[in-house]
Amino acid sequence: MSEKEQDESTAARVSDPAEVARMAREALRSAARGLAAYHFDACVRCGLCGESCHIYKTDPVPENLPGAKAAKVASFFRRYHTALGRIAPFLVGARALTPAALDELVEAAYGRCTACGRCGLNCSVGTDVGAIMRAGRNVLAAAGKVPPNLQAVVDNQLETGNQMAIPPEELRDTAAWISDDLRLEMGDDDAKVHVDEPGKRVVYLVNPREVKFFPLSLMAAAGVFHAAGERWTMSSRFYDVTNYGLYSGDDPAAAAITKQAVEEAERLGADEIVLSECGHGFRSFRWEGPNWLGEKYAVPMRSVLELLLEYVREGRIRVDPAKNPARVTLHDPCNLVRWGGIVEPQREILRRVTSDFVEMVPNREQNFCCGGGGGMLSMSEYGDRRVASGEVKAEQIRATGAKIVAAPCHNCADQLLDLNKKYRLGVEIKAVVELVYEALVL
Amino acid sequence: MLVIERIVAAASLAWAAALLLAQLLTAWGGGRKDYSVRAGSPGRAVLFNLTAAMAPAHKEAARLHPGKFAVGVALHVGVAVAVVEALVAMVKPEAAPLWPAAAGTLAALSVAAGLYLLVRRAVSRTLRAMSCPDDYVAAAVTSGFILAAALYGFGVLATSPFLIFTAVTFFYLPLGKLRHALFCPVSRVDLGRRLGYRGTYPTLRGTKS
Repeated sequence: MSEKEQDESTAARVSDPAEVARMAREALRSAARGLAAYHFDACVRCGLCGESCHIYKTDPVPENLPGAKAAKVASFFRRYHTALGRIAPFLVGARALTPAALDELVEAAYGRCTACGRCGLNCSVGTDVGAIMRAGRNVLAAAGKVPPNLQAVVDNQLETGNQMAIPPEELRDTAAWISDDLRLEMGDDDAKVHVDEPGKRVVYLVNPREVKFFPLSLMAAAGVFHAAGERWTMSSRFYDVTNYGLYSGDDPAAAAITKQAVEEAERLGADEIVLSECGHGFRSFRWEGPNWLGEKYAVPMRSVLELLLEYVREGRIRVDPAKNPARVTLHDPCNLVRWGGIVEPQREILRRVTSDFVEMVPNREQNFCCGGGGGMLSMSEYGDRRVASGEVKAEQIRATGAKIVAAPCHNCADQLLDLNKKYRLGVEIKAVVELVYEALVL
Repeated sequence: MLVIERIVAAASLAWAAALLLAQLLTAWGGGRKDYSVRAGSPGRAVLFNLTAAMAPAHKEAARLHPGKFAVGVALHVGVAVAVVEALVAMVKPEAAPLWPAAAGTLAALSVAAGLYLLVRRAVSRTLRAMSCPDDYVAAAVTSGFILAAALYGFGVLATSPFLIFTAVTFFYLPLGKLRHALFCPVSRVDLGRRLGYRGTYPTLRGTKS
């Protein structure tokens, strides 16, 4: 992260209220020209969006209505960017960016919305509520109002290169013992997790959760890559596929996090960056990252799901669906599917590697958020609401009768593990790549 | 004949058009270049988001609230007819046709739809909590405009007061929530384009599948 970017992302953490308000207004001005630009003026506050929101469905109070949450953000826009908002703010519900108003927005923007965007697709008018809520987070980030636990994750990413502050040595150690296990399992001495090897075709970015707590998915990916004869590596310095700047609303930080991983892939001389199963990470790197940086990437990028499908279709790996006989359903992470456009690859893969795949209802771009999105898992202060709002997803899962939930997102997987316990679903949560690995015919 | 009223109404229309255009240009801000690599078809997605995506099969808000969806349709049909009638009254009032008696039911439905939305907003605790005075003013202005158009269409209201009503409506149009008349389609184009660019839209499946 450059000195200038560091300044931009942290300068807002100041105590002068006037300076905070100035920075918030500047962020609002910028957001008013960003993705939310056309949407601030679109909502008619009809109130028909409630059933599209998992948080409102499980706790139908007015504050949880998507339109009401968006109205809080739009009230600031109207105050500074509309004629009546300046002349007669009371008439159009316009509010000034005062410290009290910003504090009130924290609850709505971070605590009552995962910015999953489902309400926007089903809005009477077509308002992108998710974009409006992220504009609200932009304003709060500029004002230094990001909830501390969420900010800590962003800081970790900026300071250490990954959200869990895992030192490079630990990554190398983990890679070494995963490699030992992999060699034993595959019966092949060449199987391994490649680290810091320049000139490989693929640089693979993973969720640090895979390194720290759930190495099975990293091991599965390494096994599938090996079976496919892939030339790949990870970096021990910048391997983190996540980007909590998306959640916090801190665009300069999000840009810096993007930049460090992309530049590392360039340094390693990779032909392509492959992103592990991570919803917001995919959205951040694939779609938002180039715009945060204001330039195209030098190295192309895609989801591991697209690569896995290519392996299967081209016969680079052989799979036997009979090896996964239990009923499997698929969770659609909002940022991967609705906002990422990765809709069908995971389905085709699962149809090929499992023998009893069933869809949840609704699914694809109309999926319900699991409740863990938007950085909710990092913000313990909203933990009860997070798990309560996940009831919608839990009932979707239960209705399928599945024994395994494929969750192509580690963030969602963590939430689904909590839902599994709370709602006694009796399911296993697995990454798609784990099911592919288990179906491999070696 | 009715020169002043017609000029006032036309000026009000010009004001609305100019302000809405200014708001649109401000929001556009010279455009935003997308540096990511396109995966889908934005054009097809925009078309989808302006058509099929608004139908109950795709739009949950419409499917789960068929009554309110119908009320909304009735209101907006009434507004569209009233705008056409206002334009005729402005340009050539003597050419404004009298409505057939059969249109009375439709006009009554449309006015009732506007009034229903106004009352619903006042009565519903949820809607009240998220509403500001503009929401009530906009509903009242719209309902009044449709009512005036209907009365004018049936020959009950003279051209002059109808044109004044028209002027008031167009004057208020770009100031409050009524500007969604422009930003609704613009939002649908914008969201559709983005979802199409990323390959999410269009989709043939409805929300139930």
